[in-house]
Amino acid sequence: MVELKNIHKIFHGGTINEFCLFENFSLSVAKGEFVSVVGSNGSGKTTTLNIISGSLPINGGQVLLDGADITKMPEYRRYRRIGRVFQDPAVGTVPNMTILENLSMAENKGKPFNLRLAINRQKNERYCELVRRLGLGLEDKMQVPVGLLSGGQRQALSLLMSTMTPVDLLLLDEHTAALDPRTAEIIMELTDQIVREKKLTTIMVTHNLRYAVEYGTRLLMMDKGAVVLDQSGEEKKNLKTEDILQLFNQISIECGN
Amino acid sequence: MLFLATTLDGLQMGLCFAVLALGVYISCSILDFADLSVDGVFPLGGVCCTIMMLRLGLPALPAVLLCFPLGMLCGAVTGVLHVKFRISNLLSGIIVMTALLSVTLALTQFLTGTGYTTTIFSFRSADLTGLFNGALTSALTDRFGRGAKDYITIVILLVIVFIAKLLLDLFFKTRLGYLLRATGSNEKLVMTLGKNSGSYKIFGLALADGFVAVSGALYAQLYTQYDNTCGSGKVVLALASVIIGTAVFAHFRRMKDTTAVILGAILYSLCLNYLVLIDTNGIYLKLLNAVLFALILIFNEKISAFLSRIRRKKEQMQHG
Repeated sequence: MVELKNIHKIFHGGTINEFCLFENFSLSVAKGEFVSVVGSNGSGKTTTLNIISGSLPINGGQVLLDGADITKMPEYRRYRRIGRVFQDPAVGTVPNMTILENLSMAENKGKPFNLRLAINRQKNERYCELVRRLGLGLEDKMQVPVGLLSGGQRQALSLLMSTMTPVDLLLLDEHTAALDPRTAEIIMELTDQIVREKKLTTIMVTHNLRYAVEYGTRLLMMDKGAVVLDQSGEEKKNLKTEDILQLFNQISIECGN
Repeated sequence: MLFLATTLDGLQMGLCFAVLALGVYISCSILDFADLSVDGVFPLGGVCCTIMMLRLGLPALPAVLLCFPLGMLCGAVTGVLHVKFRISNLLSGIIVMTALLSVTLALTQFLTGTGYTTTIFSFRSADLTGLFNGALTSALTDRFGRGAKDYITIVILLVIVFIAKLLLDLFFKTRLGYLLRATGSNEKLVMTLGKNSGSYKIFGLALADGFVAVSGALYAQLYTQYDNTCGSGKVVLALASVIIGTAVFAHFRRMKDTTAVILGAILYSLCLNYLVLIDTNGIYLKLLNAVLFALILIFNEKISAFLSRIRRKKEQMQHG
């Protein structure tokens, strides 16, 4: 589904701080895979997501989505086929618009934003039903501006919004990192449920090793712009948190963290 | 009598500036973009409307309406400078404003045919068969006497402002309107919806300046003269109207922002007019102006604190 071919990525090119993160980095994610990516800070996890979504320019290589070369496609056009949830719950929603208004925009993704009325009663009921399934009591707050909701509620909404229309790929960028442990658990459960239900190809970056082990069909560990551990299928199922923690610590010590 | 005349004048001014305030509300509140091009677009609307009526012989209403696309063009230039060429929002507004000052000056010259020996260009009100001096007005004036003209002007302005407000409210309920609101508060989300937020910013600024140009056209007709300096200070005036409107009328929770902005413009203009009664020399006008602005906001803060105290007490009584 997604393929990165021989990616070169240099930060601060041409200055004294020049730093080469990726050199001939390649990664391929098959259709329907749920990949969780772990690694220490600066290992290139989020950069990988940013390169796929086009938020960062690359110095060489190719990005393929469903076989088509999207290397030169601007960021906003890539998002027509990609859904993304960010670490900051405020980024995934519009704070001064109501839940209803936010959902109606998300549902209209891929269609023209023209002069037709954005919401009607029929839609209201459907959105209410969708929100009820989140189990957070948001169905009574449909007319409340999203800015007044808690971080967890907003993140649940972002997740719902980014998967409302059919997307080829879902990018989750440490989407539970800003939440308290209990809420993070709820959001993670919800993510798993949505991904399974819609059979989404997903790449999830996380700092929570346990989530990486428990959820998903494939696990990647990155370090200094390279994949150091890549396990899927039966291997992944037998993996334990302790095993990765050990490897993770090893890498971190080498880095001096 | 003087007081009544001042009130009527203030109402007319306020309604005229309400259209301007609606425009600045779009750029400033919705898009979070401090658009300084207003000072240039406002007189441009005035001069173009005057030219269309006096030189091209257009009736008043189409002349006013045609100023809308004209203003949109200017707003789009501001937007393109900011979005495509990455010039900061303040500077791109200033660039367009500065350029437009020359454009309006040149257009004035074209109007007089004798060059701009004076910056103020005025003509007899009989020449301007404008909105406020039309056949309907004269018929009613005949019937109700000369004083009726002021009231009729206010009614006509009210209708225009009301239509502008309704259209804007309706627009903000459409899909495009939603996306415009999203662009102002979360550009990244617009991007993840697969849309180029820059284009929507340009469109929003164009829309805002459309309203500004129409307001300028109304202003020129209201005073049956075009004045090249009429643009200066309009950004401040409009911003003050928007801020006063949204702050003072925030106590009325069900009131729409657009209504609050219109009422803010009227309130501010009325106050400005009453100040002229106090300071007849006009020397301290700007000072009084500034003090008034500060006072309104300070009092408003006190009022909202007072209201929330009452509300809390009520809740305590209910629970206790």
